[in-house]
Amino acid sequence: SGGAGALARWVLVELQGEVEPRQGGELPGSLLGDLHYTCEGIPVLIVGHHILYGKVVQLEKPFAVLVKQGGAPQPSPGGPQGHYTVTALIKTKLLFKTRPKPIITHVPKKV
Amino acid sequence: SLVIRGEKDEQAVLCSKDKTYDMKIADTSNMLLFIPGCKTPEQLNEDPKSCNIIHSQIAGFSNNYWELRRCRPKLKKLRKLLMEDPYEGPDRCKDQTLTFSRYTTEDLLSLIQASEEEILHQLQVIDACKIEGYWRILEFDYEMKLLNHVTQLIDSESWSLSKVPLRTCLEELGSLEPREMIEHILLSYGRRYVDDGEVYFEMHEDKICRAVAQMLLQNAVKFNLSEFQEVWQQSVPEGMTTRLDQLEGLALVDKSSRPETISLLKVEDLPEDNQERFNSLFSIREKWTEVDITPYIRDLCTEKQTVGALLTKYARCSMLNGVKVYNSRRPIS
Repeated sequence: SGGAGALARWVLVELQGEVEPRQGGELPGSLLGDLHYTCEGIPVLIVGHHILYGKVVQLEKPFAVLVKQGGAPQPSPGGPQGHYTVTALIKTKLLFKTRPKPIITHVPKKV
Repeated sequence: SLVIRGEKDEQAVLCSKDKTYDMKIADTSNMLLFIPGCKTPEQLNEDPKSCNIIHSQIAGFSNNYWELRRCRPKLKKLRKLLMEDPYEGPDRCKDQTLTFSRYTTEDLLSLIQASEEEILHQLQVIDACKIEGYWRILEFDYEMKLLNHVTQLIDSESWSLSKVPLRTCLEELGSLEPREMIEHILLSYGRRYVDDGEVYFEMHEDKICRAVAQMLLQNAVKFNLSEFQEVWQQSVPEGMTTRLDQLEGLALVDKSSRPETISLLKVEDLPEDNQERFNSLFSIREKWTEVDITPYIRDLCTEKQTVGALLTKYARCSMLNGVKVYNSRRPIS
């Protein structure tokens, strides 16, 4: 519903492996990290004390984000029995597939 | 808008107004995070002033997503549903009783895994008609009865096969059959056009010959080919010429038997799934030439899969008496 121009554009961030909350915390409401772009447009993600370098990818097959609307309490026999609304389109993803590097802030002096 | 269609025992498809797509769940070991407010480097470059800290929320994450792949509409079920209760004419008492095997357009839209346009197009292809709001297919004998009325009238009036007047047909035949049925049979077997304010039909010679052949072939398992060709030519309306190529996808000629024979084999009776179709064909005949098998696999073709591609995938090629033939890749029980 609505023209393609009316749809929000979201961005996908793809990470290898799993993201875990800090000890004792939960994912919802927690801070994932900081996202930066270098002057060349390379995305850099800082998660905890790790740094990840990624790249911007234009998706060959864009995604559509569908949100399910509450189903009718009594589904009618002929009609559709559930509605999904296209909420947003995703045409770009930030792909982080290199190994996270720990950020070392204290380098021991040479003895 | 898009519709997902399928019954509990079917694999879901997604339909647009005119296309059908297979739906599959794709898994990834990566984590996909969706971020509504996230900006790309291009967007940030356009507006340098906005480069302060932007707080964005991750809307959600997932390990899987639905993938769509364009597919052939699954239309075999359409014919199957309409054949549950074919229309046999107004005289039959059967038609007065209310049965549950009757389908409106809305019913078909919720039962057939295809887009609306594909469904409506197929209804036209199979010569279905709407009777009292329900889509019906004509029972073959009744269809032939209607066709006979028309061809006999064409003969007795000495009309040209390409200029059959609707008005006179309705006048002469209206006492024998419902007017809607007369018009329907003309539409099914002819091309409608208007000349000087009057409606005419240009009759489809090939389609009429084909229907007559089906009428003859369905009464026996096999026919002597030359005998059949003689009877067939005599049975079609005056002025029409029968040719074996009119029977593609309807009948199969066996050139290896002595005498040569012909039998009924309708492509619409064969399975819809590619592998099952080939299994079925190879159990009917062990080796097929490309010319013989093509009419029976043409409906499986898509943009990406031609007849050649299908044969490469589902059959094995070999030479028999200097002719290229195809047989099954696996043993058929």
